[in-house]
Amino acid sequence: METIFAYLPPRTDPLADGAPPGLRTAIQPCLSVAGWPTDAGAPALADYAALEDATVVSRLRQAGATLVGLTRTGEFGFGLTGSQAGMAVRSGAADLELVVDLAGESRLAAARAGIWGFKPSWGTVSRFGVIGLIPSMECCGILAGDAPPIGEFLRAAAGPDERDFSLPDEEAPDLSGGRVAAGETTVGVVVEALDALPSPAREAFRASLATLTAAGFALREVSLPDFPLFALVHQIVGAVEASSSAGRYDSVRYGRRSPGAKNWNEMYLLSRGAAFGTLLKSYLFQGAYFQFEAYEAYENACRIRARLLAAMAAATSQADFLVLPATNPAAPAKAATPEDIYAQSRFTAFANVTGQPALYLPPPSGEDRPGWQLTGPRRSDARLLAAGEHLRGILQGGE
Amino acid sequence: MDFSERIFCGELTQEHLRREALLCGWVDAYRDHGGLLFIHLRDRSGIVQIVFSPEYAPAEVCRNAASLRAEYCVAVRGEVRKRLPGTENPHIETGSLEVFVSELTVLGEAEPLPFAISEKAMLAGASSGGAEQVNEELRMQHRYLDIRRSVMQRNLALRGRIFQCVREFLDSRGFVEVETPILTMSTPEGARDYLVPSRVHPQSFYALPQSPQLFKQLLMIGGLERYFQLARCFRDEDLRPNRQPEFTQLDIEASFIDEEFLYELIEELTARMFALGGIALPRPFPRMTYAEAMDATGTDRPDLRFGLRMVDATDIFAATSYGIFRQIRERGGIVKGINIQGQSEKLSKNVLQNEYAREIAPSFGAKGMTWMRVEGGKLESNIVQFFSAAEQEALKDRFRLADGDVLIMVADPSPAVANSVLGQLRLHLADRLGLIPPDVFCPVWVTDFPLFEPTDDGGVTSSHHPFTAPDRADFDPADVAELLSLRSRAYDLVINGEELGGGSIRINDRRVQRRIFAALGLSEEEVREKFGFFLRAFDFGAPPHGGLALGMDRVVAMILKTPSIREVIAFPKNRSAACPLTGAPAPVKEKQLAELGLLNLGGRDVLPGDAAKESRLDRLSWVSRIGIAEGERPLLEAAIARAAELAVRAGELAGPEEPIRSPAPPSRRIRPGREARRSPLAVDGRLLGNAPAVKGDYFKVAAILE
Repeated sequence: METIFAYLPPRTDPLADGAPPGLRTAIQPCLSVAGWPTDAGAPALADYAALEDATVVSRLRQAGATLVGLTRTGEFGFGLTGSQAGMAVRSGAADLELVVDLAGESRLAAARAGIWGFKPSWGTVSRFGVIGLIPSMECCGILAGDAPPIGEFLRAAAGPDERDFSLPDEEAPDLSGGRVAAGETTVGVVVEALDALPSPAREAFRASLATLTAAGFALREVSLPDFPLFALVHQIVGAVEASSSAGRYDSVRYGRRSPGAKNWNEMYLLSRGAAFGTLLKSYLFQGAYFQFEAYEAYENACRIRARLLAAMAAATSQADFLVLPATNPAAPAKAATPEDIYAQSRFTAFANVTGQPALYLPPPSGEDRPGWQLTGPRRSDARLLAAGEHLRGILQGGE
Repeated sequence: MDFSERIFCGELTQEHLRREALLCGWVDAYRDHGGLLFIHLRDRSGIVQIVFSPEYAPAEVCRNAASLRAEYCVAVRGEVRKRLPGTENPHIETGSLEVFVSELTVLGEAEPLPFAISEKAMLAGASSGGAEQVNEELRMQHRYLDIRRSVMQRNLALRGRIFQCVREFLDSRGFVEVETPILTMSTPEGARDYLVPSRVHPQSFYALPQSPQLFKQLLMIGGLERYFQLARCFRDEDLRPNRQPEFTQLDIEASFIDEEFLYELIEELTARMFALGGIALPRPFPRMTYAEAMDATGTDRPDLRFGLRMVDATDIFAATSYGIFRQIRERGGIVKGINIQGQSEKLSKNVLQNEYAREIAPSFGAKGMTWMRVEGGKLESNIVQFFSAAEQEALKDRFRLADGDVLIMVADPSPAVANSVLGQLRLHLADRLGLIPPDVFCPVWVTDFPLFEPTDDGGVTSSHHPFTAPDRADFDPADVAELLSLRSRAYDLVINGEELGGGSIRINDRRVQRRIFAALGLSEEEVREKFGFFLRAFDFGAPPHGGLALGMDRVVAMILKTPSIREVIAFPKNRSAACPLTGAPAPVKEKQLAELGLLNLGGRDVLPGDAAKESRLDRLSWVSRIGIAEGERPLLEAAIARAAELAVRAGELAGPEEPIRSPAPPSRRIRPGREARRSPLAVDGRLLGNAPAVKGDYFKVAAILE
């Protein structure tokens, strides 16, 4: 267990007060839990203990959840290298795991662990208390063995939070879900996403879709020629936002102070030089480059982002939901550079760029077939979960 | 559509009754009376009410009319009718008429507006809107909408008419309008230049003109004799509320003339311009020398709308026993005062001592202020006991003090400080006591300025510019005392304490000009380098000449009584010299900088801690304050190289879309607030719990300075 968890609270008997334990929830230390060492796996937050609960954490507590511990994570939860995300659920130590999803981490971790992974719509779940890096793309991702805990999480935690001033002024999302019926549902397949898969994974993925047609779903090819640009936009905007966000790690309010600085500038240079690992530092330098040497690149990326949002809206309007691969078999297993992370998240980063929800649906256990990533328009979270549950039934031969 | 038939909304009269009219314009306001739709249709000329009635208009027209919203651009055809008695609208010129529409064409739809444009109420007695409350930045960002407002229409139209009046008048006096270059050399005006890089001559720059000074003098040497121009000028000055980086100046120069010619010309012209705003200026304009203005008002921009003249009282205290005044006298200082007649009720001891003597006068630069109130024929003050009876009598006599008067006095070792402080107090008191009459205009010529001002190093510098003629030519360029006594043949036009313009008779004798340069301490070589091309022209028979420039933005703003000159400029810059509409100034593509040879220039900028910033990686390490370990360099270099590739790709792939920063931005930036309070985490000190170094209630950091 200690390989999965970075921190376990002092043991208490969950049944001591007679109440049944609620959702046993493992937390990535990128989410604040009052008094716990939520250091985001980052040297920049060494020795840090959160002062307050993140909104999602306090809402889960109110809904009766039990927090089981903090899982191991890579620096600021960016990528899965050094992360144990998904293992707590897989091992049965937790019913639910919360992670930050910056470029697809929740779905990729789910694929790695063979469990469910869900990234909710941007703006529906409060980010107050999330130790973030890329504010316009990140959100709290949810890992679980099945759909119900995810729905339970959303019902408990989603909706307006006056402490998160970046939230759009929207009502809580409709979480009633609705019915998914095979005969009247169209599934869109993003052609360019499939094209980006290397052989033989591409053929295997196509073959897996036969299950859908067999179950009576209409398959429709949907074209998104700009699909390869999601990674480009994510990297430029993400690096700029990360470089800005990381400005707060100045060894004044938290973190470690490197000794020997004679003045403020030296204090910053030395402390911040030691605060970031080389991979994250590469990313921050890329962000600094865009901000200080090539600002137009950031503006251009934001322009392309607008185009991608429009193109994705057009694509999602052509089907009830879209299905894409989640993992990139051509990506290196371990990430040493930002480019490695973008190779790993080639099929997941889009949802962070657009803010739309995405669900990773694992193949039935024991079957050697690719998992599916489902997605729909922003705020269609409940429908997507319902579709996932329906498909899970089909995959297990239930319906 | 045949627009030639179009009639202007505001020009409909009884003559058009029962006739058909084609009107074009914008939906100013609308009122739906369940099927009967009333619309205020607005064009440049004004507003008329149009009516969509199911009894008159075809059903389809009524249906289309229902979709009309504010600021839709439409054309309508209909019949002009008299309004029913009791439904007339006194707010608009055409308030007794309305037009029953039979045809409607939507020429342009409008999205919901960022601010209201309509300023005319639709109903008699209702209050009208107005964009005065709207954030100015928002107005400027959507200036094309702001200009639709009748106030802005009026401002711009009248500005145009004033400019037209200038042209007609000067043309009638034989002046020729000549344009001078915008891309030019730096001129000696004293403010910072706006520079334009030359592509053909890398690392060389044009300067935008701060004024066409040199060119207009060259036109005189060129024999044009009478020149004018409504010239755009540019000054990169520190930001002040009522100043624009580019402004329009009426530039005038004439040959074989003297001051009297220009006074008559400008008075006539100014009077004509103000007449367009319904303002009659008193003529002739009075004149004050610089010395008189400074003496009586403490400023060279005297506001003569009210009295409160400053009077010297230094001599009264020749043998005073009041220590402060005595010391100031001994150090060559002066004592001056103002009699604020009949205001002792409004200026209590408390106000005079605690506000004026303690706060306001020191904020103007004074060390103190003395005040006395006159009651029952006696002076009352906190220090009156220090003055002898003779001194008190002399004060009453000098300032003609009577019961109810208040005397304020400022004494300072520096006469300049005493004048300046008392001058500012004069304006402050006039404003506070409501002594400035509204709608009164007091023009004045200020003349006889000192030609030179002393510099800190014991020399002199030109008060105006080095081409201004002195009042006499027989001076010794080496005698600083004599130089400082010289007067210039310069003059400023001041109205209500605001300098609207100024000018001078110029030097046309090259020998005098040389002596002026000598007085300024400029060597032959420096002179040649700075003004060579200009002075060369004086070697070929320069006529006597002089001229003047008027700041037209200020003139128009004063005539229109607008609170700021931005209200009379179609597309002004904001207070930080930026244009919220276009986004100027804006960064440019690196390619453009490369073409202009400016990339290396940037590298020469020296930042603190810049010693070892020659490489891009070191520069980025510095600006983001992240140190680098030697072993990290190759990876970070590669990361930046990859970022540079991404930047190029983004440049190639970006389209015209508006950039977005968030998938779903909050629509309300301001949310209902709660009471401001200290965070409980700060109160109990938990906030400091994670800090690596703490001292008392504070985060502890390294020493600030290097």
